[in-house]
Amino acid sequence: MTQTISFTFNGATIECEAGQSIASALINEDQRELRRTRFGDEPRSIFCGIGICFDCVVVINGVANQRSCLIEAQDGMNIESAQ
Amino acid sequence: MIIVIGAGPAGLAAAEAASRNGTEVALLDSASRMGGQYWRHRTKVTGYRSERGDQLFAKVRAADSVTHISEASVWSAHREGDLIRVNYLQGGIESSLTAEKIILATGAYDRTLPFPGWDTPGSMTPGAAQSLLKGHDVIAGKRIIVAGTGPFLLPVATGLAEAGAEIVGLLDAHSPLRWSLSPRALLENVSKFSELLYYARLLRKHRITPHFGRAVTAFADGVATISTIDSDFVMKSGRSRAIKADVVAVGWGFLPDLSLGGILGCAQKVDSDGTVIFEVDQNQLSSQPHIWIAGEATGIGGADLSLIEGEIAGLAASGQKISSSLFRNRARKQRFADALKRTYPVRDGWRQWITPSTIICRCEEVRSQEIADSVIELGAEDSRTSKLFTRAGMGLCQGRMCSRNVSEIVSGITQCAVTDGERIAASNRPTAAPISLGQLADGKNSL
Repeated sequence: MTQTISFTFNGATIECEAGQSIASALINEDQRELRRTRFGDEPRSIFCGIGICFDCVVVINGVANQRSCLIEAQDGMNIESAQ
Repeated sequence: MIIVIGAGPAGLAAAEAASRNGTEVALLDSASRMGGQYWRHRTKVTGYRSERGDQLFAKVRAADSVTHISEASVWSAHREGDLIRVNYLQGGIESSLTAEKIILATGAYDRTLPFPGWDTPGSMTPGAAQSLLKGHDVIAGKRIIVAGTGPFLLPVATGLAEAGAEIVGLLDAHSPLRWSLSPRALLENVSKFSELLYYARLLRKHRITPHFGRAVTAFADGVATISTIDSDFVMKSGRSRAIKADVVAVGWGFLPDLSLGGILGCAQKVDSDGTVIFEVDQNQLSSQPHIWIAGEATGIGGADLSLIEGEIAGLAASGQKISSSLFRNRARKQRFADALKRTYPVRDGWRQWITPSTIICRCEEVRSQEIADSVIELGAEDSRTSKLFTRAGMGLCQGRMCSRNVSEIVSGITQCAVTDGERIAASNRPTAAPISLGQLADGKNSL
């Protein structure tokens, strides 16, 4: 049995299985837009999926530019979209 | 001791081979589990000949002399006397290790080409769709188009279909008839036919018909534009149609990650397909003493070739005898890899898919028009100069996604071919992974 954990994304509670990446947990909940771009305010999501492109970066517990495709979701994490 | 960087097929094979005579090996990898991108499964390895992964994992785990250091993101390395110091970040803490010898097996990532809408959510690489599925048990979307070129599209499309996604398009820009250009490689690698049959059976099961000579040339609001293209990738007029899809997974082969070897001064060259790779001798030794390189960074060739290259590097670095059959096997797999490059080349016609407003550098949001302006109005003659004017390639990914495309776009305007020197310069970067100044300044653990 895998353990269910929960974290918040822009204030909303998201549940996922322990061991899943933040990006995969969000995409599984149909939350595709992970951030908006600095200049064009365009939505961005996962792109390379393996930590190369940095398109999926989010703010985790106040620390910016974290790759949500690589980092496993942890119970109680507070995640926000980067701007 | 030997430090092996990367725990994919090449790195695992290297660590296993070196451990046969009891040599101490530290196997560093940025992921939490061994396997690399190829065997990145969260639970059980599945897919074609997946038992090879399990066997290798078991051998490496059973070897007392191998220590697997996971979630270690190597950001730089340098020489200290006779030793090589490898610096890595693990859980936000900077640490380092030293050894007399290192083996680099840092793998590759999907090569991408820009098209209108490639930056919108739902557009991703086949590797991303694959990593969501294999690594996290998440299906990227409901109606998925898998496109680009090369045999990697087959495991991605069939894997997604097996998991329950609807594959509404499987499109390769090239025809498989191009394999007829490489009869020898086909004849001496007959095992590849059984792999092809494996995928053909899955395609039939899920009623997926592959189409050739087609590409995704635009994606917006859940609709992909599928264009018929010629062998130079130029769109044929009036031969486009729209297909509803929530995901387009598009990839154009692979690019190796050269950062670490570049930092250590290992000599590079340009491969037959324009990809920058490392020069190695017959034992996989780089131009730098005590640094061996195996896998995709010495030429894109897939897991079969990587396993053999890794084994040779591991045996060489630990001072063991290498059998002539290994060398022969490698040569055979290399001819197959060359045939892959000949069958699935990326042609210049993609430059006509983009519009002036298409984003080229995703990080810095640089549009095609700005790159054209930097050449036409500001006189940029190569990607480096264009980058200084536009910031294309200066973002967080350090140009890994766009630098090759920027070179090709500039070259298309100046009508001057991209030089090998420019290709090599554009493939190197000062750090292999991002590190904050704060992490650099404190918290260092040295061994």
